[in-house]
Amino acid sequence: MLVEDGFQGFSMNRLTKACGISVATLYIYYKDKDDLIQKIGVEIGTKFFYETLKDFSPTMSFKDGLKKQWENRSRFAIKFPNEVACFEIIRHSTHGDYILQESLKDFKTAMGDFFKNAINKKELVPVSLEVFWSVAYGPLYALLRFHSEGKSLGGKSFTLTKKMMDESFELVIKALTP
Amino acid sequence: MITVINQILIFKTNIQTLADKEQIQHCLNNHDAVDQWNIDQQDIDCVLRVISNSVTPEQIISLITNHGFECAELE
Repeated sequence: MLVEDGFQGFSMNRLTKACGISVATLYIYYKDKDDLIQKIGVEIGTKFFYETLKDFSPTMSFKDGLKKQWENRSRFAIKFPNEVACFEIIRHSTHGDYILQESLKDFKTAMGDFFKNAINKKELVPVSLEVFWSVAYGPLYALLRFHSEGKSLGGKSFTLTKKMMDESFELVIKALTP
Repeated sequence: MITVINQILIFKTNIQTLADKEQIQHCLNNHDAVDQWNIDQQDIDCVLRVISNSVTPEQIISLITNHGFECAELE
């Protein structure tokens, strides 16, 4: 509902009708609309960051670590498209700071360490974190977006394949390694 | 460890504005049996939520209606 109707269209009342539960039941679990949105945001965030860190360690070699990140992030995005869309909406709302603070701590440390280790080991060209992130994940998220929309440029039908992922990944590695 | 199981009471009201809320907040804040309360004024039903282990729905209804507002328990 959040994804389809946005923040303004979303209400506790409409939600209870859509779920076939009573208003009172919903309010037993959540104080108000803000409380519900924050709790959902933290829940999705925690799940996303948990999935992203699966089988990943900041001490991995740069290529292996980034490969694992691509695998984990794309698996999550393809498996839970609604959660991802919902999280994006909440993250860009007034609740964004709160949910990131609550769900992000360990994730931020792990990703920060991975980035610093890679530069120290000279496996990554020394660039700012922002430039690193854009180049490292930009292509992945662009492909995932095409995939979730089912179409690419000019409305052409599109399905993401492993071959495309591997090709893009190799180009990213080429760009980021010294 | 003693766990006190609080009950959550849910009411539909017409406490719509901040000024409305100010009228009732003093007596809810100072009510011995009320542990926590809030009103979702973004909701069409202006849902009042009260956490307490001893207050009855009737007590809350009479307290709110005495201030000139509507208040009905939501099931």
